[in-house]
Amino acid sequence: MPPFDSEDQELLEGFLTETTELLEKLDDDLVALEKASDDPELLNRIFRSIHTVKGASSFLGFDLLVKVTHKTEDVLNRLRKGELAVTSEIMDVILEATDLVKVLVSDIKAGEIQEREIDGTIAKLLPLLSENAAAPAPAAAEPASGTSQQAAAEPAAAPSPEAAPAEPPPAPVTQEVAPVPPPKPAGDAVAKKAPVPKPAEGKGEDLSDNTTVRVDVKRLDDLMNQVGELVLERNRMIQLNQDLQQGDSERLDFNEEFGKLTKRMSFVTSELQMQVLKMRMIPVDKVFKKFPRIVRSLARDLGKEVDLQIFGEETELDRSVVDEIGDPLIHLIRNAMDHGLETPDERVAAGKPRVGTLILAAVHEGNQIIISIKDDGRGIDTDRVGRKAVEKGLVSEDQLAAMSQREIFDLIFLPGFSTKEKASDLSGRGVGMDVVKTNIKKLNGLIEIKSEKGLGSEFILRLPLTLAIIQSLLVEVEGEVYSIPLSSVLETLRVEQRMFHMVGGQEVLKLRESVLPLMRLQRKFNVQQRYENDDFCYVVVVGAADKRMGLVVTRLVGQQEVAIKSLGNYLANIPGIAGSTILGDGRVTLIVDPVGLIDDGEGAPGR
Amino acid sequence: MNDALVPVKSDESRDKLIQLVSFNLDQEEYGVDVLKVREIIRMPNVTRVPNTPSYVDGVINLRGKVIPIISMRKKFGLMEVDNDKQTRIMVMDVEGELMGFIVDAVSEVIRISGSEIQPSPAVVASGIDQECIAGVINQAERLLVLLDLEKMFSGDERQLFASM
Repeated sequence: MPPFDSEDQELLEGFLTETTELLEKLDDDLVALEKASDDPELLNRIFRSIHTVKGASSFLGFDLLVKVTHKTEDVLNRLRKGELAVTSEIMDVILEATDLVKVLVSDIKAGEIQEREIDGTIAKLLPLLSENAAAPAPAAAEPASGTSQQAAAEPAAAPSPEAAPAEPPPAPVTQEVAPVPPPKPAGDAVAKKAPVPKPAEGKGEDLSDNTTVRVDVKRLDDLMNQVGELVLERNRMIQLNQDLQQGDSERLDFNEEFGKLTKRMSFVTSELQMQVLKMRMIPVDKVFKKFPRIVRSLARDLGKEVDLQIFGEETELDRSVVDEIGDPLIHLIRNAMDHGLETPDERVAAGKPRVGTLILAAVHEGNQIIISIKDDGRGIDTDRVGRKAVEKGLVSEDQLAAMSQREIFDLIFLPGFSTKEKASDLSGRGVGMDVVKTNIKKLNGLIEIKSEKGLGSEFILRLPLTLAIIQSLLVEVEGEVYSIPLSSVLETLRVEQRMFHMVGGQEVLKLRESVLPLMRLQRKFNVQQRYENDDFCYVVVVGAADKRMGLVVTRLVGQQEVAIKSLGNYLANIPGIAGSTILGDGRVTLIVDPVGLIDDGEGAPGR
Repeated sequence: MNDALVPVKSDESRDKLIQLVSFNLDQEEYGVDVLKVREIIRMPNVTRVPNTPSYVDGVINLRGKVIPIISMRKKFGLMEVDNDKQTRIMVMDVEGELMGFIVDAVSEVIRISGSEIQPSPAVVASGIDQECIAGVINQAERLLVLLDLEKMFSGDERQLFASM
């Protein structure tokens, strides 16, 4: 990579930011184009995006990028002029080209330009530019006279669906497609560095990263204003302190003034907190955006017809959460596509429309965000899931017989579970749902499954908005105060101790219809008994992912918003403790990790 | 810096002047490199942390940072005593992390030259891990045990924490 001086560096960064944004949007637009091929507005926008990338890269001298974008632009231009019609095959090629562009851009981003193998992709684009490839007729088997020798060797203008590029990275293209011109002789300046062109199979998907944020200037101004306020209040506080020290002020005056100050301070800090939180908020769109593309590829691979509908993509949540939910969502979508939705023929036979519907929706609810993935496919077959679990030795016949429908649904989250007879590229290895559960638990989230056989299923994720500051419930356990993340708390109860039952050595509580396993925090945390045994105690019902458990505590203290502090490396992995926080009086309070406790509870005797 | 504490035979380190903070623990005097000590504080409220080794007393709030507190007496297997007015927490930097160590009393900062450090005799005190003793200093009236904090927690203990 040629050394950039500082000015160029700025240009380069600008280029990267702009290009990344364009490319992110492009995927979406391209998939939309396939559905609405007669939308000139959309087509023009796509054309402009590619054109912009081309212009900028040629200005900065990224030759490879220019070559690819140039040809892609030409193809798009023909589409725009109506000389070509949008077909899935053409879209495949264009998508492959944009993937290649992403790879090249990510190379630039990584600061290391590699000699990528681009001719294969270009060779696929070229036939689309020949006169003969005009109009809907995809089989321009005759080599076009106008095109070069490469095209002559091209077997067909449009690759058959089987040859469609695999998702996510462009298949290690070409080898079988066309004899590509050999790499340039190693006299070339760039080629010296990397004599062998690498096939373009880098991770173009990872192009978008969240290391930098663009913040609305207005938000920044607001923040500055609030900080100004805070400084004023601090000055006021110093003044008050001085007055008090010098005995200038009457005690009564001071009390009143200090009370006012406290109120203003608390107002300013909560405003400040909101604003900083807002800055960290990014729309969930950032994640959702890549799904149309994934769904398209999956649908083509699986031979299914899917109508993906996305709602609430403008819903905002904290960056820390956005970074984490991508993976689980991909697994859930794959699961819905592979296991949930039927093939078109099966659907028709079942009296449903040929095209399946997959709905991805996000919505705020209080301090949580709720993401739902819903399909109208075949639903979860509880009998089959149960049988498989028994076959695999995950549960016994007896256990199965005693399970509720909900518990059976939960079986699919067990590691190694899969109803697929054969592992496919997509699923069947039984890792997917396991990953979903682990990731969601890591985020202190909950998963809920709704499913009706024959009608479809819905996976509902409940996630906290942020991971840095949480609402928590302070509880007291024999004199020690612990903090439980409110996002995991489902309800609290005041119970008489004699309402507890023992089942196989495990204390349980009958809560409405269900039986709730209990855990005494006092025992778990080895807290010394301080009070006389009371008849009453409190039970905090917590849930993590799909499990529920009741934590027995002495007293509820109250709700408080707390900032999470790490316990450092040395005490990082204490079971049942997620971190710590500092209360108003300066004392450290430990934050309970309900997820860890629940997992631990599973291993306890009697379960 | 750390190398200077280890009794190396190289001449440079022998002549180097080292500053140590000395503290008392059960009638014995110990010293640690002054550069490792961040501050010395009185006993604050310590929040107990469950399921940790017995010598971890808990955690405290050090101006908004939560740091673990280790009882030196428990760590070295000495008899436990109640905290008194002399009891101090030495906040030290152990491999990039702040940790507080409870000691009976902190006495002074002393200067010694590298040549005064002698390799520790086979048995210095029962219960103390030989590992974390970098040497002893024989100065007229007093005998100082020089501690190497980095070796305070053995590989096994680290493993224990990592796997917990």
